[in-house]
Amino acid sequence: MTAPTLTASGLHLSFGGIRVLHDLDLEFRPGEITGLIGPNGAGKTSLFNCLTGAYRPEKGAILLGDRPLRGLPPAARAAHGIVRSFQTVALCPDLTVVENVMMGLARNHHAGWLDAFLPLPRGRRERAAMRTAATAALAEFGLVDAADRFPAQLPPGNQRLVEIARAIVGRPTVLLLDEPAAGLNDAETRDLTRVLQRLATPDLVMVVVEHDMDLVMGICDRIYVLNFGEFVACGTPAEVRTDPDVVRIYLGSDDD
Amino acid sequence: MSESIGLLHADKRSPADAMRLFGGPALRAALAVALLGLPLVVAPSWLFTLGICFANSLGVLSVSMLVRYGGEVSIGHSVFAAAGAYTVAILEVRFGVPLWISLPLAVAVGALLGMAFAWPSRRLSGIYLAVTTMALALALPEIINAADAWTGGYEGLYVAQALLPAAPMGLQRYYVALLLLFAGVYALARLRESRQGMALLLARSHPAAADAFGTRRTWARLSAMAISAGIAGAAGASMAYASATVSPSGFTLWTAIFLLVGSVVSVYGLTLGRALLGGAFLTLVPQMLASSGAWIPIFYGCALLAVILVGHYAPKLRSLVERRGRGRSAP
Ligand SMILES: Nc1ncnc2c1ncn2[C@@H]1O[C@H](COP(=O)(O)OP(=O)(O)OP(=O)(O)O)[C@@H](O)[C@H]1O
Ligand SMILES: [Mg+2]
Repeated sequence: MTAPTLTASGLHLSFGGIRVLHDLDLEFRPGEITGLIGPNGAGKTSLFNCLTGAYRPEKGAILLGDRPLRGLPPAARAAHGIVRSFQTVALCPDLTVVENVMMGLARNHHAGWLDAFLPLPRGRRERAAMRTAATAALAEFGLVDAADRFPAQLPPGNQRLVEIARAIVGRPTVLLLDEPAAGLNDAETRDLTRVLQRLATPDLVMVVVEHDMDLVMGICDRIYVLNFGEFVACGTPAEVRTDPDVVRIYLGSDDD
Repeated sequence: MSESIGLLHADKRSPADAMRLFGGPALRAALAVALLGLPLVVAPSWLFTLGICFANSLGVLSVSMLVRYGGEVSIGHSVFAAAGAYTVAILEVRFGVPLWISLPLAVAVGALLGMAFAWPSRRLSGIYLAVTTMALALALPEIINAADAWTGGYEGLYVAQALLPAAPMGLQRYYVALLLLFAGVYALARLRESRQGMALLLARSHPAAADAFGTRRTWARLSAMAISAGIAGAAGASMAYASATVSPSGFTLWTAIFLLVGSVVSVYGLTLGRALLGGAFLTLVPQMLASSGAWIPIFYGCALLAVILVGHYAPKLRSLVERRGRGRSAP
């Protein structure tokens, strides 16, 4: 099954008169890893927030295949398989690691309130199935041993990987990763790279915001460069690397 | 918000320590068995007080549940308890309905009332819920008095119908209150393991993340309040049955405040031991207040309440002020 393409056109977003995104057109395709780069404050996270429904752009259309998404609340977009990770790790401190990952499956399960309060077979089966799937997702990152610990007991890099496990466990159709490699050590980055490359199949649209240029250039098929809320370049890693505007932005700023 | 309460935070950081302090499963089971066997050894007058203590413990549990799963403080849970208590009492006195039918109705009435209260502030975070519930808690005794055709006014109603015709009434009051407390603790332990319970916890600590994984905030806020108020309804039913009476003096603003303070004393614990700790506090303090008759305990109670509210809302208010400065919040 091929995932639909995620497209947006004429996207505008501003906060209190301050322009954050300006007239963006984009096309994120299944089977590719799309990179989204740009200096701090360029609007990368805001763009993700528009795509997931956390922010409401003033103008512009967002389509998943031919289904318009604008106006749908975040939960409804999640139901269409749009899933994200967060730039600052957003794991629940009261849930164990494996339970946090299980939340990535919540939208696919429907046991009712009776199952929540009573030990009925349906609720138990559901929990067991969720746990199995979540453990398998943790295994991708070698984190099975941490399953029953709490996030605060894990080093920051592992916490981020747990969050990515939560994003991929539900087999999303669109996966938006916001700086997935921030805070990871070399071994963890290698694990992440391997998993992302394996996930790059036609049934997934994957977009990665990342400041680690080696990682972006290494795994992305196509890269969008955002600066002050506008795309300044879009193309293959080789094209983007030599684009004069991109070179100017990156050499001219102190970041990276 | 997860950082909002120092005690809660410390507790969460060291689940192993908390386990040690309040017992693993074995110790809890021993406690439960001991409570079940207690009527064999203690005097009947004590059974009466213990029954009320169990009912209060369930009330404390309902407040703690809201703090844990909703991140909200309510100074009005006496309202939901009163709803449950008067449901049981009125159904018995007017229509002769036994407890096993009126109890589920008391839970439902509490839950519906809770949702009705949470509805206006469902999109807001902050002190709104605490203030609206407190306003009603303040007015509640007058409302009950005014509706005296149904509620028996100031004198209240007498709850006396036996569940089991043959058994002594004192024992029935004790065991009904105890088993309801067990049921509450058990249901909340199940909830913690359930998908819904986990979703509520995620929504409390990271609403944006919960949103992104399909849990609507409105759903989370209404659900947490409905469950909490439903348990409070059961606690009210238990109070009515265990104490044999319902009257407006049992559901004053002080009841609401002490429910909250009892919840703090139990460190918002949802286990049997912790709930009993809060319940014991709630049962003893009003007696102490009544006997001393001095103002000092009241000032003490007010000070305690102020500390709780400041501790709970200070981080939220600070972030609100910061947000005003920056524009709006980013998830
Ligand atoms: N909720 C908001 N309210 C006001 N301004 C906002 C909000 N969200 C984002 N902005 C502004 O939008 C701009 C883009 O922010 P955004 O977080 O999208 O950048 P970014 O590209 O993700 O940067 P970084 O690399 O630092 O994560 C910033 O100037 C930021 O201040
Ligand atoms: Mg960002």
